[in-house]
Amino acid sequence: MGSSHHLLVFLMFLHYAVGFTYNCVKILPDSSSSIVVEVGKNFTATCHLLEGCAYTSDDIEWRLGNLSIAKQSYHRINETAVSVTINISSDMSDWLKCTAPKESLSYKPRSIYGILLRAGYPPLKPKNLSCIAVQEDKDISPNLNCSWDPGSRNPQIDTTYTVYANVPGTVLTHKADCKHLARFCVVNLETFPIHMVLKVWVEVKNALGSERSELQSDSSYFVKPNPPLNVQVLTEDKFPTSLMVTWKHPIDRTILKLSYAIRYRKATSDVWIEVRVPESFTRGYIESFRLQSLEPYTQYVVQMRCIGESNSSYWSNWSPSVTERTTEAKPASAPDLWRIIRPTSNSRNVTFIWKAPVKANGKIRFYNLSINQNNEKFESHNIIADNLSQMYSMELPAGKMASIEITAYNSAGESPKATLSIPRSDKELPGVEDMSWSVRDEKLQVKWTAVLPLPHPLKLSEYLLEWVKIPQSVHQKELPAGWQRVPKNVTVTTLNAGLEKFKRYNISVYPIYKYQSGHVWHFQPGRPVTRPAYVQQGPPKEGPTVTVTKSKKNSAELTWEEIPLDSQQGFIIHYTIFYAIGNTKQWKSETVGPNVHSYVLTDLASETDYVVYVMASTEAGSVKGTDCTFKTMKYGDGEVEVIVVVVCLSFLFLTVFIIMICLRKREVIKKLLWPQVPDPSDSSIAHWSPDFPIKADLPKEDVSVVEVDVFDGKSLCEEDKGVLPLKKDKYLSEEHSSGIGGSSCMSSPRHSVSDSDEGDSGQTTSSTVQYSTVLGSGYKGQTPSHQPPAFARSESTQPLLDCEEHPDHLNESQSRSSYFRRGRELEPGVLAPECDGGSLTFCPVQEEEASPIAEEPPASALCYMPQKSGYRPQ
Amino acid sequence: MVCLSQRSQAKFRMILAILILIAVELVHPTVSCKNETCSQLLRHSLRLTRLMSKRTTELLETYKTSQDFADLICDMQMDNVPVSTVSGQTISQRILSVYTHLKEFLPHMKTVMEQQKDLNPPTNPVAEGLNRMITHVRHIAVRVNCILEILQPNIPIPEPAESPTGIPHAQNIFQQKAYGCIVLTRLQELLSQAVQEQKSLKKGKMCRKSTKNGS
Repeated sequence: MGSSHHLLVFLMFLHYAVGFTYNCVKILPDSSSSIVVEVGKNFTATCHLLEGCAYTSDDIEWRLGNLSIAKQSYHRINETAVSVTINISSDMSDWLKCTAPKESLSYKPRSIYGILLRAGYPPLKPKNLSCIAVQEDKDISPNLNCSWDPGSRNPQIDTTYTVYANVPGTVLTHKADCKHLARFCVVNLETFPIHMVLKVWVEVKNALGSERSELQSDSSYFVKPNPPLNVQVLTEDKFPTSLMVTWKHPIDRTILKLSYAIRYRKATSDVWIEVRVPESFTRGYIESFRLQSLEPYTQYVVQMRCIGESNSSYWSNWSPSVTERTTEAKPASAPDLWRIIRPTSNSRNVTFIWKAPVKANGKIRFYNLSINQNNEKFESHNIIADNLSQMYSMELPAGKMASIEITAYNSAGESPKATLSIPRSDKELPGVEDMSWSVRDEKLQVKWTAVLPLPHPLKLSEYLLEWVKIPQSVHQKELPAGWQRVPKNVTVTTLNAGLEKFKRYNISVYPIYKYQSGHVWHFQPGRPVTRPAYVQQGPPKEGPTVTVTKSKKNSAELTWEEIPLDSQQGFIIHYTIFYAIGNTKQWKSETVGPNVHSYVLTDLASETDYVVYVMASTEAGSVKGTDCTFKTMKYGDGEVEVIVVVVCLSFLFLTVFIIMICLRKREVIKKLLWPQVPDPSDSSIAHWSPDFPIKADLPKEDVSVVEVDVFDGKSLCEEDKGVLPLKKDKYLSEEHSSGIGGSSCMSSPRHSVSDSDEGDSGQTTSSTVQYSTVLGSGYKGQTPSHQPPAFARSESTQPLLDCEEHPDHLNESQSRSSYFRRGRELEPGVLAPECDGGSLTFCPVQEEEASPIAEEPPASALCYMPQKSGYRPQ
Repeated sequence: MVCLSQRSQAKFRMILAILILIAVELVHPTVSCKNETCSQLLRHSLRLTRLMSKRTTELLETYKTSQDFADLICDMQMDNVPVSTVSGQTISQRILSVYTHLKEFLPHMKTVMEQQKDLNPPTNPVAEGLNRMITHVRHIAVRVNCILEILQPNIPIPEPAESPTGIPHAQNIFQQKAYGCIVLTRLQELLSQAVQEQKSLKKGKMCRKSTKNGS
């Protein structure tokens, strides 16, 4: 019982286990692998409920991948079958499943069945099938390289390409399987079927269909021969316009009879000219051909290729290039002759320049230059042709005309002549009226107005455009100018010259006239019209260097040099002056025209440092020059002068004013300066020497001070040391007030008083000093010669002279001495005899005569200056 | 219903006959002849025969050089090797003779090639040349067959079977070498005669005549 129970449980478990995996649905069509379906087509599948299945058709659900298919696509066939139709798209490569879902809380097993769909396209027909069998050694390769265009559509499913090849009439077909979506494939034919018909086809297959492309032709159609062998180009001396081309057949004519093509070009050109060697030429299967109508002395590049006769094969590749030069012929065109005329002081310097003939047809060896002046042969030269000497200069007087002929020679002969006439200076022909230029495609385009017709026999022949680089190059190799000729009906052209960027050129347009003289045409240029031009402008290389030529209180004058032409790199359109105070960086600017090279900055602050620079501008940019620093002045123009004049005038007025005052108040001043000095003559002294009568009538006021330079080495005081018994002469005094020369025995009365004040503090002008006079008693035992010494005492209040009070000072007074006297009242005749012959003299110096007060004669050597009306020598 | 079935059967028979005819046409070797004009055919045939004649001469030279053979051995008599003599009174018969001989030579050439492969493996220029030669001779045969079709369109062309050579396998090396040289020599002679026959065809304006006949 127990074991049977266990068995029952096991069977139930087995039942449920089997029930979980039990599938009671099935889809038709069915496949062990994927089912390929075509994109864009409808696909119908039917889900069948198997016998014994607990579900009904209503329970069936279709799913593609994880997505349910809409019920509208279902078609219920019967109780046990439901079909679904879907339109296949390219992304439908997925599982198509039919499910009978398990209800919840139900014991029904879940059923599901699926088929794998693979969406794809049928193959496209290969297009442009072509097959090539190349030449191998002396035979044709058995490997047939076929290629085709499989089309742009990816079939998305496995698609195979197979190439077949067969010689019709034979049973053997060669085959090559190619890779998926291959574009080319190689089929091995074992032996290439020469002179047979070959049939080649490519078959493309996948699960949705197959396509085929086919080629059938003579087998040579598939052959690509090698290029001709041993191609050579030969020149022939007597045929300068032809080249002989020889070659070897690359393959035996019994295999493939070939036809040839030759192409050639000038070595300087990229344009090939192809010549098909006529098959009639090769009927004899020759291996040479002559290229004709070539240019003499021109290097040609030659290549060859071949093809089966009657285009029965592919073209071979081109053979390697062979270069050869045709032989020389005599020049076919004249040299291009031009001239440059530079006027000198009384003549013209004419330089003839020329270019080799365009059709030189060889290497020009030399030129023959023949010059006629005033229709007479002047000179003739053979000039070796090299780049250095293609010019010739001569002096041509202004009043003479010249005609030049030039001929070029090469090894084969001479060229036609080129002629050019140079008229007298006053016989120039008219030029074009106007010309202008512009830049187009980095080239100069020149436009001018046509010249008016001239009277017979002058005719316009052409125009000539000349360009000269400014400044001219110093290189000897370069021609001084370039030129280009244009037909006479053209008034606008582009200069085909390699003009340098940022360089200035002078572009000139000349009309060239021609006239016939005899059988010879003469060519004569008219007057040129010249304009400077740049093919491309740039900013100047360097800025102008500015200098401050004048700096004033509120202005400064700036000057700068023009930038050298080589550095301008364009037309200067303006200069901009930037200036700022010191380091403030607050720049101000002024713009001036291109022809201005100096400028006055105004409204500047006085006594201020300024920084200034000038920026030069072209249309392509600007460049600043170097900074310059300057300082404005403190005073303006004339200010200093005004101040000086004002001060001087003020001083002058003041002086005049003071003088006027002095003149007006002279009495007051006199009193102030020279106070009333008591006249000793008016003193009340008791006795006075009768020998010296007192002139009471002498005016007391007229006292003058005389300074006398003593030229004698011995001063009066010194003399007195040994001779005079009395040194304290009151007429002598030192000049302390002057401060010059130390002591002086003579002083002005005022000074004397002052000195007395200084010398003797105890004595003042107000103090009373007793004056005395020593009278004729001699000194130290010496007896005066003619006068008895006398001494008189005075009750004068006048202070003592310095000499009296300070005898030491007498020694110091060597250079200068003065005496004061009552000048006009002195009797000249009285003292004169005393000055004669004495050893000790108190003589006036010679200057006394010049002095306004030197009226007195020199004193005697034995006496002091006698003072008859005042002090007296003692 | 009965009538319909009879009609259907008649149609089926017609279609079947057409299909058989097409199949026969497809497999028939002479079908290629229609792709070319007579002159093209003759020109190509002549060029190919001339090329093979030349190649055979070269191959024979190579053979003799490689085998160190004297010309005398190559000219000796050997019964089982086809003769190179073209026979026949008319041009058609002579071309047919060429065609027959070409077919007869093929098995001998194969035998010589195999013998050469055995004798001088593996880089034997003779064997390689013979291999190509076999293909070309087969191609010449196709061309000559086409010419025969033009020459005698109403007479079926007998196809000689590529029967065994009849040469005993137990040949020694000398015999093999002599056999190969004899085969190549006779083939070269045959091809030379074939060139001559085709030249005479060309001179005889075969293609003009046939064109007229055809038109």
